[in-house]
Amino acid sequence: MPLHLTVNDEDRVSVRDPLTPLVDVLRDEFFLTGAKIVCREGFCGACTVWVDGRPVVSCLLPVGLAVDCKIHTVESLSTNGDLSVLQKAFEDHDAVQCGMCFPGMLMTLTSFLDREPRATREEIKAALVGNVCRCTGYERIVDAAFSLASAG
Amino acid sequence: MLHAVLLRAEVPSARLLAVDVSRACKMPGVRAIVTAADAPGLHGIGIADQPLFAVDLIRYVGEPIAAVAADTLEQAEAAVAAITTEIDLLPTAISMADALAPEAHLVHPDWRNYEVLFEGAAHAGNIAWEATVVRGDTGAAFSRADVTVVESNFRVGRQNHLSFEPRVAIASYEDGRFHIETSTQVPWTIRNVTARILGIPASHVRVTVPAVGGAFGLKFDCALEPFAALLARASGRPVRLANSRQEEMFTCLCRENAEIKLRSAVTKEGEIVGREAVVLMDCGAYGGEQIFLTTMTAHTLGGNYRLGSVRISSRAIYTNTAPNGAFRACNGVYNTFALERHTDEICAAIGMDQFEFRRRNVLGDKDIGSTGQVFEGDVLRPMLDRMADLRSARPSKKGTAGRRLYGRATTVGTWFIFVGPSAATVNLNTDGSATLVTAGVEIGSGSMMQALPQIVANTLGLHPEQVIVRTADTDGSGFDLGVGGGRTTVSLGAASQSASEEVRKKLLSVAGEMLQTAPERLVLAGGRVEIAGAKGSGTTIAKVVERAQQLLGPLSGSGSFTRPGVPAMAGCARGHFIDAIDIPVFAVHECEVAVDPETGHVEVLGYTVVQDVGHAINPRAVFGQIQGGVVQGLGYALHEEITIDADGRMRQEGLETYRVPLAQDVVPVEISLHEGAPSIGPLGTKGAGEVPILNVAATIACAVSNATGRPVCEIPLTPPRVLELILGKNTQLTFPHISPFWEENVLTSQPSGKRDVAG
Ligand code: FES
Ligand code: FES
Repeated sequence: MPLHLTVNDEDRVSVRDPLTPLVDVLRDEFFLTGAKIVCREGFCGACTVWVDGRPVVSCLLPVGLAVDCKIHTVESLSTNGDLSVLQKAFEDHDAVQCGMCFPGMLMTLTSFLDREPRATREEIKAALVGNVCRCTGYERIVDAAFSLASAG
Repeated sequence: MLHAVLLRAEVPSARLLAVDVSRACKMPGVRAIVTAADAPGLHGIGIADQPLFAVDLIRYVGEPIAAVAADTLEQAEAAVAAITTEIDLLPTAISMADALAPEAHLVHPDWRNYEVLFEGAAHAGNIAWEATVVRGDTGAAFSRADVTVVESNFRVGRQNHLSFEPRVAIASYEDGRFHIETSTQVPWTIRNVTARILGIPASHVRVTVPAVGGAFGLKFDCALEPFAALLARASGRPVRLANSRQEEMFTCLCRENAEIKLRSAVTKEGEIVGREAVVLMDCGAYGGEQIFLTTMTAHTLGGNYRLGSVRISSRAIYTNTAPNGAFRACNGVYNTFALERHTDEICAAIGMDQFEFRRRNVLGDKDIGSTGQVFEGDVLRPMLDRMADLRSARPSKKGTAGRRLYGRATTVGTWFIFVGPSAATVNLNTDGSATLVTAGVEIGSGSMMQALPQIVANTLGLHPEQVIVRTADTDGSGFDLGVGGGRTTVSLGAASQSASEEVRKKLLSVAGEMLQTAPERLVLAGGRVEIAGAKGSGTTIAKVVERAQQLLGPLSGSGSFTRPGVPAMAGCARGHFIDAIDIPVFAVHECEVAVDPETGHVEVLGYTVVQDVGHAINPRAVFGQIQGGVVQGLGYALHEEITIDADGRMRQEGLETYRVPLAQDVVPVEISLHEGAPSIGPLGTKGAGEVPILNVAATIACAVSNATGRPVCEIPLTPPRVLELILGKNTQLTFPHISPFWEENVLTSQPSGKRDVAG
């Protein structure tokens, strides 16, 4: 039975088994390859997307459970090619290395800063417990996010 | 596109009697199955000891036995499950102690018959390779009456790179040629090794590489590519083969586990008159990179300090475990840990201050290294002084340690830039942009996408954004040794610079004609050619290129570069791939830690790095590399370790069991770049991405030793291990398989026949 999904405010139909992890539908069926698959065990956060506005690791969510939900992927962050403020801050802080963790970092931190626009560095670090980065050593990611928190 | 899956061995050591794929072949969706019969050759570094698939013998858990390509991944997995094998279990050698025991099981009973690809090293039985250094008379040094002899043993575990993108390859076969798109650091190695394994001319393989999602050395070796290529040929269709995270974990070419014995004879004044070292590196079931890396012991463990005389035995040992590989600064990381901890034990033994001892003994201008190479410039000493200045400029963090044990340590480290051949072509286009064509790969360090465009732009008077970097394609670019060892900025940078200079020369000569002036009077900047001192007098580079195109044809230049070959002292080094290092790189690290005496938890309070970078083209990128490298090192020092059970299985299968640093574990690293040390790199650069991890384990271990007053001999310093240390348990390591007599740890000096087999 086809599954009706709303992805980045568009209606999409998946023909995959409802138990298929959402991340595989996004990447392989809809070619939204922003969300990355790294561990498939909910640990690294590279596959983070928003489901009804909340960050969720899409490797652990069966697509059948995302029907009737609003899904947003990292592709939705920039509008008409303009980077979001956090994307811009990452660029300005030269934060990105291999880039694999960044889609997840963006989804987690964008949502976190929406809720906590005055967050401290420590709070930002705590918000990243579910997002692993193997390259950067985190500090610049935190700097970038903090620049928005302290500027706002 | 087809999807492929490998059938992998589930036992560490067995005779493989039969592989039956007949049932699997008939499964739905299956398009091709390949086994050892399709790729009979052996490959390797230094010695050809590795088959693509297990032939006759299974040597580690995870060794490939067969590969299946099917329409879907699920179908391929089902077919793999339907392949049956017949095996006979054999004894195992899981640890290096097993492998070196008398009557040990031989991982390669046929070692005598292997083709030797690089002559000059000794090997026998489970000793895959032995590189030795003998300079001066250590016997005489140790028997001097005025020396104190200090002896230490160290052990380290395996570290997994955990690069986020797994190893993955897509292969197709058309008109007799293969095209492999893969996630690698070494496109040309993939081309050549795949060809060797398939028994075809290397020119029949084209390798292309998109941006790579993290590598850290893991992707410095041929991996999945030959399987994908074989399946593409057998099925006539493109094939994709990707490792699952679990496969990545148990076939990771880890930083190897190692055991190190060090002995030094030191005078009261702190002069090191003699040093002897034995380093055992576990290469796993096949030699791989470790064969080459035995060479590096001479320059890391044998580095940092002036030595009156030295003997080193650096051995790669076969075990029935997954092969190890290259990982950022490779064995330099644990050799530096061992050397620096040993240095502090020397200081304790002779009663000298740790910092003062280092200041007196570090290598300086015209000092000779362990293999007799002459170092140029005073680099480490001024770096130590800089560190002392930084320390006195800020308050100690001792106060934040509270009731916990506080420790601080400063260490030094020596690494090198792996130079080697590179080629580059630069095309200057009529729109004023330039295209840089090389076989270099961007792995996330910024070398390819930031440093190289800057070098080209600098020479041609362009903005770096105007330089388009072609992604690696072995059909489109000249040979390159690969991206790793900090060589990108140096070798590819030098090749790119010389290609740009050729273009610049042509450009200036045409511009000179156009502007009616001598080319020497012209300057290139901001996309324009100007007559020196007369801004606005010239024209745009784009216009000159257009004119040049009419006169000479399109503007392009090519450049190449290779290592200069620094001399060593004749006869010192045996079994080494290089006798001396072309570009040494030095690092001084310092940290402050607090150790909780109740839980054993180590908190890093502060971390400072002074790094020799030659000349920093892009300091921000270097800072990013240092922060990232230090944090990887903190993981290694404190909690990252792959352990192997008695059945040869890795206990850590994913991120849940293999703990890497998280945001809350890290501190911002204070960084000071040391510029001006001699370098043959373009604009005086040295690679900066490899080195930041070099002394981290050393610094943490020395600081924890200072905090607890106990000798740290093993890492990672997990809380249980630190608690044992504080309680005075396990402070002494013993290695029954390493002889206290150095000469008994060397094959070549054994009476013939005595240790011929298995050590
Ligand atoms: S891939 Fe989903 S959390 Fe790692
Ligand atoms: S930038 Fe590579 S994992 Fe974060």
